[in-house]
Amino acid sequence: MDTINIVLCGLGGQGILFMTKVLAQASLDKGYNVMGAETHGMAQRGGSVVSHLRLGEARGSLVRNDSAHFVLALDEIEGYRNLPFLARGSRLYANTAAASFPREEVRAYLSDREVVSRGVPAGLIAQELGAPLSSNLALLGYYAAFGEGPVSPEEMRATIERISPERFRETNLRIFDAGQEKGMGEKNA
Amino acid sequence: MPREEILLGNGAVALGLLESGCQVVTSYPGTPSSEILPEVIRLVKEVNLNTYVEWSTNEKVALDNAFAASLTGKRAACCMKQVGLNVAADSLMSAAYLGTVGGLVVISCDDPGPHSSQTEQDTRFMARLAKVPVLDPSTPQEAREMVELAFSISEEFRIPVILRPAIRVCHARQNITFGEIPRPDRKGSFEKDPMRWAATPRFRLLLHGELNRKLVEIAGKFETLTRYNFHSLEPGKGYPLGIVAGGIPYSVIHDLLLEENRSDIPVLKIGTPFPFPESLASEFTAACERMLVLEETDTLIEYLLRDRQKVMGRLSGHVPAEGEMVPHVIYRVVNRVLTELKLDPLRGVDDQAAMDLVKGLQLPVRKPTLCPGCPHRAAFFAIRKARPKAIFTSDIGCYTLGLNLGAVDTCLDMGAAITMASGFYHSFAQDGEERPIVATIGDSTFFHSGTAGLLNAVYNGSRFILVILDNLTTAMTGMQPTPALGIRADGSEGKAISLERVVAGCGVDYVEVLDPYDIPRMVDSLKKAAEYVKEPEGGIAVLVARHPCLIAYRGREISRKKKVTITDKCAQCNFCLDRFECPALYHDEELGRTGINRTICSDCGVCLQVCPKGAIEEVEGL
Repeated sequence: MDTINIVLCGLGGQGILFMTKVLAQASLDKGYNVMGAETHGMAQRGGSVVSHLRLGEARGSLVRNDSAHFVLALDEIEGYRNLPFLARGSRLYANTAAASFPREEVRAYLSDREVVSRGVPAGLIAQELGAPLSSNLALLGYYAAFGEGPVSPEEMRATIERISPERFRETNLRIFDAGQEKGMGEKNA
Repeated sequence: MPREEILLGNGAVALGLLESGCQVVTSYPGTPSSEILPEVIRLVKEVNLNTYVEWSTNEKVALDNAFAASLTGKRAACCMKQVGLNVAADSLMSAAYLGTVGGLVVISCDDPGPHSSQTEQDTRFMARLAKVPVLDPSTPQEAREMVELAFSISEEFRIPVILRPAIRVCHARQNITFGEIPRPDRKGSFEKDPMRWAATPRFRLLLHGELNRKLVEIAGKFETLTRYNFHSLEPGKGYPLGIVAGGIPYSVIHDLLLEENRSDIPVLKIGTPFPFPESLASEFTAACERMLVLEETDTLIEYLLRDRQKVMGRLSGHVPAEGEMVPHVIYRVVNRVLTELKLDPLRGVDDQAAMDLVKGLQLPVRKPTLCPGCPHRAAFFAIRKARPKAIFTSDIGCYTLGLNLGAVDTCLDMGAAITMASGFYHSFAQDGEERPIVATIGDSTFFHSGTAGLLNAVYNGSRFILVILDNLTTAMTGMQPTPALGIRADGSEGKAISLERVVAGCGVDYVEVLDPYDIPRMVDSLKKAAEYVKEPEGGIAVLVARHPCLIAYRGREISRKKKVTITDKCAQCNFCLDRFECPALYHDEELGRTGINRTICSDCGVCLQVCPKGAIEEVEGL
């Protein structure tokens, strides 16, 4: 089984660690070995944060440039900052409220590299459901909908249900579902 | 089915400690080591052990405590970050001579990068300096296994052993299958032997000889540890290039050579860099014409390899001498060496175009900031307002981010806000100049190493204002309790120690406790304190700016929430953005004035006191 490399990025406080945890646990339950790297400490106070996840047979915890199959960005700008991770033919998913994504300057590069990029207003989705800080779950749901990753939407949802703290569980699932619905709509369009 | 969990590297170390029957674990929090003790506590509670755990007041205290436990025959460990080992160095150097009884493991976590530290120093060199063995894990799983190895080496040779996981081990996550966690039943005993445990210099010489002999024996032992030290040479074969690697760089090069199918490049893995497994290294050296050394963060293995002509590394300029050895850096290093030696290069990482593109985008730097509603922000704003011309000495913690508010001029090491304030005072006083100085230090940092500096400053007649930023927690490292709270590491009740009584006990006569959210009062108190500092009978004035951390005390941290809005009175002067620097305030292009990000606003209402035009107003029912 080839290793699947995922980079999750955004700003400290956006819930990248939880998003990583969901993906990691769901993948482990499916039989993947899990290796990853997180950011703790000073950067968590609002700075740029990157989380690495490697599923399969990896010894090192960091994803190398030009080898990520997926970059999930909770912040559009952080998504651009982490472009060097994207492998040829990979996928970029970003939380963005912008009318046009990705921005003009990177389009040629992405299409050259056959990278498919998809933007979703994850923050707005979360806000509409009363939990504006939970854009992480909306992005996860959206990503899951396309069925390109290591785990299915159902598997991811079950993991969220299992590992969410009691008082956030219901909201987390609602936001995940809304993100997934948005993705399904686009996938089937 | 055995239990399997995705653990943080620090969790894997914690599991290793309990699997090894460790009975005493002490620590002072510091990135990247902070999660080891909490993970120990989580597991201890799950399986109901009586392991003794403590957040010690500093790393030296932690090591001394663990050392004493070792002398009673129990297995003991202390955990800290790499610069914490500097604080504990006095204890470590001496303990190496004295030796141990029960296994003693010092876990010192390095921070190549550095991500959250003041230096990139290499703990392996501290081990070399102290003459104690050091183990260098390359994955969480290996770190967990090396804990048991460290204890067994420590007990076989009666010597403290250092485990050095770097940040990418500490904060890696890996699925780990749990082993059996034993219930240790060693009872403490202490055999008096003052010639050893209280050795005078004459006996220290003998102990030094004993230590040197132990190291020779341990080096021999390390030669046999093929699980941690090994190479991939084929018998009788010679190679133009071999790679010598340890720690995280080993994991990176392992994956890289596998991906590239480069079995033509042999690797020597060193898991126990000191004392160095010489014979194994000689075997490897003999088979390779040149050797590239990949290690973090300094040049220990490179120094220890004897054949200088063959070695390529930091000293020869082939490997960057600073910064983290992330995969694409290692990739470039290896390719450069292969090219130089006229060997087949790797297929290459196709990332230059992306890196150039990103550079061209001129993305804004997202620097860390104090949280919205952080009481430190209010304190720094008031300090700069009341004492604009002062020298601002500060310290290590979240509040170093007071930099962004122009209220932090220096940050040296733990406790240096106070010691540097007195140093500045005396240097200027010598010239007859009275420079205003305001020192800021956090509550936990004050307990860690503030008191010795404060005693010294009072005793030697320094004059300055000290603001203790008391947010009732150790915030930066993950909300560990401080001695002032009366809560111990495992959540049990402890004796609460009054910060202001400690300050008074250091000989300070001027102490005021206040809430920094009340900016006018903060400003007023700072001005009064400044008067006291200048009085003939004056000295050091201490203000304890006390308000709970918003993250640690969520829901209880703001007594009356205030919704604010920005009115048309906003003159776009950007004073609030520059001087108050709250992440919830931003320049709204559409409105053409300052806006409020309601998603992250904490409703602390402190900004109501900030706008010079009075454009920030409280509103009901938003």
